[in-house]
Amino acid sequence: MAEKHSGMTLIVKTITRFTVWLILLYGIFLMIHGHLTPGGGFVGGLVVALSFIHMKLAFGKKGPVKGSGKTFLHALDSSGALLFLGIGVAAFFAGLPFLSNFLPKGKLFDLFSAGTIPILNFAIMLKVGAAIFLVFIALNLYEHGSKAGNSEDSKNEKREGE
Amino acid sequence: MGLYLLSFILFLVGLYGVLTKANIVKIILGSGIMGYAVNLFLILIAYRSGGTFPILLPGKDPGLMVDPLPQALVLTSIVIELGTTALLVALAVNIHKHYGTLNVRKVRRLKG
Repeated sequence: MAEKHSGMTLIVKTITRFTVWLILLYGIFLMIHGHLTPGGGFVGGLVVALSFIHMKLAFGKKGPVKGSGKTFLHALDSSGALLFLGIGVAAFFAGLPFLSNFLPKGKLFDLFSAGTIPILNFAIMLKVGAAIFLVFIALNLYEHGSKAGNSEDSKNEKREGE
Repeated sequence: MGLYLLSFILFLVGLYGVLTKANIVKIILGSGIMGYAVNLFLILIAYRSGGTFPILLPGKDPGLMVDPLPQALVLTSIVIELGTTALLVALAVNIHKHYGTLNVRKVRRLKG
């Protein structure tokens, strides 16, 4: 309340410090168990992105994560897609068609089983989580056309004053 | 059959919102309702009465399952809907930046 543009009240911030980790771990849990139970890379990535959005909503711009980190998120986004493609192409070197399951499959209903599918889930989680968080940041920061990242605060204040 | 008609009525609710509302946010919500109605219809035609979820579990006889193919299709459809909604929201933000309003009847740069 005292400072402007620094997120929500103290109650929300204190609760967020506990719940962010729970939400993040739940997303990773959904991703790891993606080949056994409902869930998978997409849902896990959504929940992981929601945990970051939660933190951004509660703490505002002066949060524990400085800046928007857009270049890092773009790198995560692209590396998820590249990892998926790399696993798809790696099946060629095992003498199988594209995206074939060339790793040993293990026992059914084991946590570490199903060959390449957990790795593909991880790639999808990187891609979806980074992309959803990037959508949130891009809609949040009003960086349309003009030069990005330098003077967000002054731009926003000017626009609100108009 | 009655459930199919209800999902069609839900689609018409979304269409009514898209056609008659003036606020852009309400138009976006209407398009979302239309998408949800189509997803609900696709899930409903895949339902088999008495079927369970199509997931193999340890120590459980699979038995009769619902059709998993439309569910996978609807999952893809939800993702595409999310993308189009994000695009529409970005366009709405730009319109509000340029015109200062969200009313589609006041957004007119070309007069006449």
